[in-house]
Amino acid sequence: MKNRLRVLRAERDWSQAELAGQLGVSRQTVNAIEKERYDPSLPLAFAIARVFGRTIEDIFSPDDEVPPGSEEPGIDLTSRK
Amino acid sequence: MDIDPARRPLSDSGALWFAISAVGSVGGGWLAQQAASSATVVSGQATSGDWTKLLAGLASILVAGFAAWRLARAGAYSWLLPLAAANLVLLQPGRAGDARTWRLEWSVMGLVWTLAAVLVFARLLRRSDELERRLHLEGAFYGLAFGLVASVVYALFENRLPELRGQWVAVALLLSWWVGYLVTARRYRWQS
Repeated sequence: MKNRLRVLRAERDWSQAELAGQLGVSRQTVNAIEKERYDPSLPLAFAIARVFGRTIEDIFSPDDEVPPGSEEPGIDLTSRK
Repeated sequence: MDIDPARRPLSDSGALWFAISAVGSVGGGWLAQQAASSATVVSGQATSGDWTKLLAGLASILVAGFAAWRLARAGAYSWLLPLAAANLVLLQPGRAGDARTWRLEWSVMGLVWTLAAVLVFARLLRRSDELERRLHLEGAFYGLAFGLVASVVYALFENRLPELRGQWVAVALLLSWWVGYLVTARRYRWQS
């Protein structure tokens, strides 16, 4: 699961510990989520969305989902000569 | 250079308090056992030396308890697993040795200690966050899996191996749980 946690946290100039305190989890958990090594539970994902005033979909996206504004996935066979 | 604490699987403070608690409990238990054995078997009456050993042993156990409390307060729950293993070795009934009159008390104390440790650890896990619980769940699975495989391997060679003792199994399960926790934690937190 991809996420924008680090970007959103940086926008607010929060440390991992500050965010962890607001979420009621350890700083290591925030670190693991930011580095996309751990996918949070649904309640924690909702808590994260609430803290940032966003929806879950704004923050988290599946690995195979293309972020808005990027190119479409797949191989363009027409470009091959 | 400031090292990110999340990248240190064995935090310095946790290691220090673990060492204090392990040495304190094992050393204190040994001193108390020496005093009890000497008083009940050799002389039948406690000497001043026995009392000194007993008091030193009890003081050492108190320090060990304080160190374990510091580990729990710091949230270093994983260190409580090897600590419990060390105390299981210490409290095994066979260590009562020649002090046969103390054997039952020693065994009951070990059982009470183990039950208390299980209750405390369950409470600490409920208070920990979801990642910590997941690490312990996966670590405990590895511990159980190791125990199952080791049991079957032991059964294959049990005619050639020494008789298995209950405490050894408990200690092996605790230590394999702890190792499983560390491996899992590395995967989630510290893998580069």
